[in-house]
Amino acid sequence: MSTIVKNTINFKINGKDVSAPEGTVILEVANQQGFEVSNLCYNRKLKPFAACRTCMVETVTDGKKELVYSCTQPVAEGMEVRINTDETNRYNKACLEMLLVEHPLDCPICDKSGVCPLQDNTDTLQLYNGRFEINRRNEPSIKTNPIIEFYLNRCIMCGLCVRACDETQGVQALDYHKRGMSVTIGTANDEPLDCEFCGQCITVCPTGALMDMTSGARGLAALFTNTLTTCNYCSWGCTIELQSKKGKVLRIEGDEGYDVGINEGNLCAKGRFGHGIIHNEDRIKSPLMNYGGDFKEVSWEEAIQTITERLQSTVNRSGPGSIAGIGSEKMTNEESFLFQKLFRGHFDSNQITNLANLRAPYVNRFMLDCFKGGIESKPVTELQHADVVLIFNSDLPSEYPVGGNSIRKGVVFTGTDIIIANPRDVIFNNEAQVDIRLTFTHGADLAVINRLTRIIIDNKLIDINKAKSGIANYDDLVQSLKSYTAEDSEKMTGLPDKTLTHAAERFAREADRFIIIGNDILDTGQGEEILKALLNLSLLVHWGGQGSISIYPPREHCNSQGVNDMGVTPDFLPGYQPAQDPAAENLVDDLFGNCVNGKLKILYIAGEDPLHSYYKASLVKEALQNVPFLVVQDVFMTETAKMADIILPTSTFAEKDGTQTNMTRHVQRVKSATLPQGLSKPDFDIFCDIAETLGKPFEHDTVEEVQEEIESIAPIYKGMMPGTDSKQWPASSFVEKPEFQICQTFVESDEKEGYPYRLQTNNHMFHIGSYTQHAKALVDVGPECFAEIHPEDAEALSLQEGDRIVVESENAKVEVTVKTSYVTTRGMVYIPQNWVDVPVNLLRNGEEGLVPIKVSKAG
Amino acid sequence: MDTNDTALLEQPQDEEETPIDLTAGREIMEQIPQSPNQRRYLVPTLQKIQNAYRYLPDPVIELLKAKLRITRAEIFGVISFYPPFMLTEPGKYIIKLCYGTACFVKGAEIIANKIKEKYQIGPGDTDKTKLYTLQFASCLGNCGAALMALIGDDTYGTIDPEQTLDLLGKYKLEEDEPPVETEEIKAE
Repeated sequence: MSTIVKNTINFKINGKDVSAPEGTVILEVANQQGFEVSNLCYNRKLKPFAACRTCMVETVTDGKKELVYSCTQPVAEGMEVRINTDETNRYNKACLEMLLVEHPLDCPICDKSGVCPLQDNTDTLQLYNGRFEINRRNEPSIKTNPIIEFYLNRCIMCGLCVRACDETQGVQALDYHKRGMSVTIGTANDEPLDCEFCGQCITVCPTGALMDMTSGARGLAALFTNTLTTCNYCSWGCTIELQSKKGKVLRIEGDEGYDVGINEGNLCAKGRFGHGIIHNEDRIKSPLMNYGGDFKEVSWEEAIQTITERLQSTVNRSGPGSIAGIGSEKMTNEESFLFQKLFRGHFDSNQITNLANLRAPYVNRFMLDCFKGGIESKPVTELQHADVVLIFNSDLPSEYPVGGNSIRKGVVFTGTDIIIANPRDVIFNNEAQVDIRLTFTHGADLAVINRLTRIIIDNKLIDINKAKSGIANYDDLVQSLKSYTAEDSEKMTGLPDKTLTHAAERFAREADRFIIIGNDILDTGQGEEILKALLNLSLLVHWGGQGSISIYPPREHCNSQGVNDMGVTPDFLPGYQPAQDPAAENLVDDLFGNCVNGKLKILYIAGEDPLHSYYKASLVKEALQNVPFLVVQDVFMTETAKMADIILPTSTFAEKDGTQTNMTRHVQRVKSATLPQGLSKPDFDIFCDIAETLGKPFEHDTVEEVQEEIESIAPIYKGMMPGTDSKQWPASSFVEKPEFQICQTFVESDEKEGYPYRLQTNNHMFHIGSYTQHAKALVDVGPECFAEIHPEDAEALSLQEGDRIVVESENAKVEVTVKTSYVTTRGMVYIPQNWVDVPVNLLRNGEEGLVPIKVSKAG
Repeated sequence: MDTNDTALLEQPQDEEETPIDLTAGREIMEQIPQSPNQRRYLVPTLQKIQNAYRYLPDPVIELLKAKLRITRAEIFGVISFYPPFMLTEPGKYIIKLCYGTACFVKGAEIIANKIKEKYQIGPGDTDKTKLYTLQFASCLGNCGAALMALIGDDTYGTIDPEQTLDLLGKYKLEEDEPPVETEEIKAE
């Protein structure tokens, strides 16, 4: 909760004693208490609006009776609320009746039928015979964008879509147009919708005026089978509702019910429209074996037999050190658990890892250091009650869009202040009173944080003595910050010290603080140092300041956290217990190098595409070519799979059961909504089959049993399974003594002669990883890769938007279409990493820091 | 009769030959004070733009959008709310025909029909020669002198609907000076 404490108000609803925090509206309390109040335009995530006038209730305060709209009237001490009196019903009915004059009542073919508040309210108020003559609108439906259909005949002008677009999403692509009788909802000048395509407007629309066109199925929400599961894309971990009919998943919706997941029904484009990967023609349909470059279909028995024989003979001949496995950041916890169990238990090999850990093993250490220092971090559901949020090097609308939704809700209802530090001038529209933008020089992340920390110390913004006595190496920290004087920092970061001081003051003040870190820091070459600096900043305010701090490690994919929790890393067993022999040589630390030099004989890649996604593209290629036996299991034929000796087809998230753990440690359920497609199998079954063929079947081979096993082996997961209530695993067992991690001094990245620009890359707003390239709807809205540059840079290079350019680093060059935007700052070229035909990772090719590039016109 | 229609739905005419001179627009943008809550300058700035250009050219709206950091949908939401804002270039003279109760009773509709017949324009439209743009006003505030209308900067009262076309005929595209006897309201 926010540090600002609200009074509790006691009052009565229909005679029942209830209480609520000051400022809560009557309707919200009534909903929570299970009373039914008719209403159409209220949504607890949005500001009160009172457009539909159908939620009137009677209140009696000090004997004085009033008729009020419950969606805007705050509760008051001693108030008596009466719902559904004859009088209020009469008024509410009249308003609804007028809406029904225009509303088409084409319910049998409406997407919202069965979950429609207009239907429900009509029924509740028993409004079966209206008094007015029917006068329907007859406007054609608008399908000018590939995803959201506008059928405005059904619109009741409640404004929920306009408000969700504005307040929740900060996009404001929709607005009211004209006024009075002729008011409509729409885009500017009826232009095609061009927005973040989050689809929040579809979720909040009570009547089916806005519809999801991606499903290809219409009508009767009530006839769909709904399965609550966890989204498979980014690491935020939204709960989604898979809606299926006749065994096929047709669309995805958010569930706005109370206590469902962590996202209150908010979803982003990927989560909502990315269902195209499930029933997809491109999927690998059966196990494939590589016969000299040609893949031939084989039976599961044959494939598994071959793999186990190869594994066994290699281990017998060359020892357990000759095999290695890459786990997936998208597999469930149970699958990851079995994967490490297979390697550790059956082959006595500790050589397993995941791509994130391979690149940045310090992220796990950073997380554990936070715990050690006493920073356990609150559940992310508390983000909307934060007093201040520092968004560090994350383009929220692309990276954690639903995190942005929670923060915006906090801005409206809690008064959250926002500090955004990013080398790009990222768009994050919100209504915060304090919205500090630290748009720093590309690569100066470390200098920004260390300067903030130093300002807090220098200006004594916290209780210095408390911090000093709490943390032993406080003086070392002060010493290490010596070089971050106001003047030098201004030079390093390009930010006026006044702005940094403003940010530091806001951050240090008594508050519930949250820090959200973007994965972009890994690309700066100083990821480890940046995380240490952020840790120091957090420890400082935690031990010396008032309030609380929550900080989460940057994670990219849906189970990037869980895969580490389950011990698919050479450093840790499940639950972050140290792996037995940290001193022993582990070939996995330089996994691809050891494939190239022949030390590793078998590489087992479970659901990853390192050739496309790992930052050392040519090393990976060489490794995959050289490793004698490569097993890849995946959903789609990735570039990596094409190089495999055996490919095993796995199931998507919609076809498997288990749990995932999001970046904020919430363990959440994954539930199947359809059967595995084709001959594919969930990774879980594959690992069980391999163990069985090895002659040593797992003693627990159902998801439930494995969950019990995880709970008993990893104490932090005790009580977390089966993940239906989105609980956060506790970190209290890791708390030790706080210690600052002294980081190295900031070094500006070198200029490279002839390469004046710097590359910036991350996930595109509509894509993450490479699966989304198979989801038709997402390709429709994000079809083509582009390079984004500042308009002035474009002018200097005499480039026009839409020109083809060649972006060249020392290692490689790619051709791509140019786009100009003030978001990308001068000297920077931003290219999203999700297109196979624009292999951005080749440009980087192992370069740890910012990649120097040059830009020229193509052709 | 709906008096709120604006030129919103009118198709933009092909006028590629003269690109908009953005100098005035840029000047207006510079007059907007820096403030955390800039959107409050939206309506006054739109008025300034319309004063400078006689309507709201799209390139200038784009400047405004970047300056105030608000979206097109919002700007157009505001524009379509206020009928005086125009998205296409109006004719040389804007006819503001009063459609208040008194004027309506006295025959505003007759005038509208006559204009429609002669110039083929309804409320919000501009005739082909770009002489006139017709707008309906909710009330011009001088019901004693109904029927009221404004033509360009000239005010007319107690108009005889039958004389409509004679009155309008006085205005010419080429003329530099407006007709003489038009300054004051002609009271009978």
